[in-house]
Amino acid sequence: MDLLTNWLGNMPGFAIPYALAALGLIVSERAGVLSLGAEGLMLVGALVGVGVQLAVHEPAIALLGSMAAAAVVSILFAVMVVWLRVNQVIAGLALVFFCQGLTGLVGSLMGWTNMPVTGLQNLDLGPLVQLPLVGRLFRQNTLVYLTPCIFGLVVWRLNHSLSGLRLRAVGENPQAADAAGIPVLRTRFLAILAGSALVGLAGGYISVVSTKLWIAGMTGGRGWIAVGLVIFARWSPWRAFVGALLFGCIEALIPQMAAAGISLPQYFVLMTPYLVTLGVMVWVALAGKGSDQTPGALGEPFLREERR
Amino acid sequence: MADLLLQQSKAPPQPHRKPFVPWLQRRYTLELRQQLGWLQQLVIFVVSVLVGLLISGVILVAAGVSPHDILNEFVVQTFTDPQNLRAVLFQAAPMVMVGLAAAMAFRARFWNLGLEGQMVCGAIGATFVSLHEIGPPGLRLWLMAACALLGGLVWVVAPVLMKLRLGINEIISSLMLNYVAANFLLHLLYGSWKDPKDAFPYSPKFQPFERLPDLLDGFSSAILLAAVVAVAAWWFVDKSRAGLYLRFVHSNQRVADAVGVPVRRMVLGAVLLSGALAGLAGFMVAAGQEGRLTQAFYNGYGFSGILIAFLARNNPLAASAVAVLVATLFVAGRSLQVFYQIPFSMVQLIQAILVICVASSDFFIRHRLRAVGSKA
Repeated sequence: MDLLTNWLGNMPGFAIPYALAALGLIVSERAGVLSLGAEGLMLVGALVGVGVQLAVHEPAIALLGSMAAAAVVSILFAVMVVWLRVNQVIAGLALVFFCQGLTGLVGSLMGWTNMPVTGLQNLDLGPLVQLPLVGRLFRQNTLVYLTPCIFGLVVWRLNHSLSGLRLRAVGENPQAADAAGIPVLRTRFLAILAGSALVGLAGGYISVVSTKLWIAGMTGGRGWIAVGLVIFARWSPWRAFVGALLFGCIEALIPQMAAAGISLPQYFVLMTPYLVTLGVMVWVALAGKGSDQTPGALGEPFLREERR
Repeated sequence: MADLLLQQSKAPPQPHRKPFVPWLQRRYTLELRQQLGWLQQLVIFVVSVLVGLLISGVILVAAGVSPHDILNEFVVQTFTDPQNLRAVLFQAAPMVMVGLAAAMAFRARFWNLGLEGQMVCGAIGATFVSLHEIGPPGLRLWLMAACALLGGLVWVVAPVLMKLRLGINEIISSLMLNYVAANFLLHLLYGSWKDPKDAFPYSPKFQPFERLPDLLDGFSSAILLAAVVAVAAWWFVDKSRAGLYLRFVHSNQRVADAVGVPVRRMVLGAVLLSGALAGLAGFMVAAGQEGRLTQAFYNGYGFSGILIAFLARNNPLAASAVAVLVATLFVAGRSLQVFYQIPFSMVQLIQAILVICVASSDFFIRHRLRAVGSKA
């Protein structure tokens, strides 16, 4: 029982970065922009989060800083894919490696590597935490409680607001959206920026909240897993949320198994998130089409003068 | 009708003169270009590379390296000092191989991002032969190379089959396998394959006959092997029937399928070849550079391969030339690391900036701005 509550109590910490990153990716991909740069933007978010935290010692500002930094860096990507119409796969890959190089360079030149920070502390819910058995479940930080709210807000914007409708129209059929008077390029540009801010927040969570320090390349492929998660969720935010919880459960299980005295070869255990991603993608492919929200124009650049 | 035409041609040509509108006050529209001459394309390419290098130079200066030292490290040292030239060619051999591997897969429109994992598996295959002393010493090196080919090939089978059978995005699947391979490498290096002589996580040293020998003057034979493979690859894509088919597949899969090109077989073959070449690159790192199985694969070989194939437009011979330049960057990056404490991620950053600049410059090859009247 203790094991179970510990496991479930640790789970959000692992699940939140996946959830936020996948949500950010969904925002930009629903506008028709294939965003492979998540891994890089998460690194930017993680680095800047730690940097700001070291400077001002205020985790809320640090997390806002990581959002802003990821959005700023994503302007580069947005200019490439929206205005210059660069192949979105090449642009995404280039962004990842640009960010890996940049964060490695800045992190070590500024001396932020391996500097422990205070980070975001758990929220004290008073009596709830004191509860026997289930008390552990309530020892969470603010962002864990905020994440479902962020999801609700973004889903509402996407599905029930005019700007969300425009965003989806641009991703579904940019020619039609253009004919209806929606500024396709501007919508995509802003969608990339907004989505990237969420991805940056996910990165900030990893460094400022979870590990509380910066190491070069610390995201370890989580951004790519988030990209896989979006495919698994078929571009639906709530399914991505469930998928993120699933991944969180699996990752949280790893330390619990060690605690329970089950000894498995360490490096094989570390492979599981990647193998699970592969397995999930196979499963989705085999399960066939459910309700599919794949954006119709995903990955296609738009130019009004181009005939189709 | 004929009268009309005649009349038109007889009409005196009106002097076509519009009032001059300043550049910034014109209204512009973007249009697709049909074709641009190769000279203009080359100029745009060279300018974009220069812009990329300029930006990288500015970053290096900002990081505290004087411009004089940059020029010295990157240009003077590399091409005047034979020691350095040797180091560059030494580094270039696996670079050529990963570049060719990436180009092969891209020719089949398959984003093989698992090059690093395939390299690791190739190196593991080669080391397996060495550790278990399979085959006579005279044949050992060949067996290791063959096993490396096989290792790289095996590691790309899953993504390509998943793509062909189930339509699963190969970008994610091949990337995930990188992490799996990296963890498996660590499992071996910290576990059963650890050198019993000391505590470091690498395999026992290969025996002398298990290493790629030096040719005259200290140049490694790896570069010769890479050159042979590059020429073979050029023959394959440029002269062979399969290469022609691949060009079909690259330009339009559906049309290729309609005219009877075995699309799936071609994709499968090209991607397996790509994996095998990446495995051979892993063999070159292990048996050529390191002399044992180490963790030397974390320098972003995978991205360098993509960069090389991208800059070379998937042409094997051009890829070899670009690979030598990227190797120069690697060698210079290492001396920057030693002498100026610039982290090696700088090399990654420079590569990414180059890709961004060249990819963006394609815009000017494929589009043009045309002034249509004035804003007012």
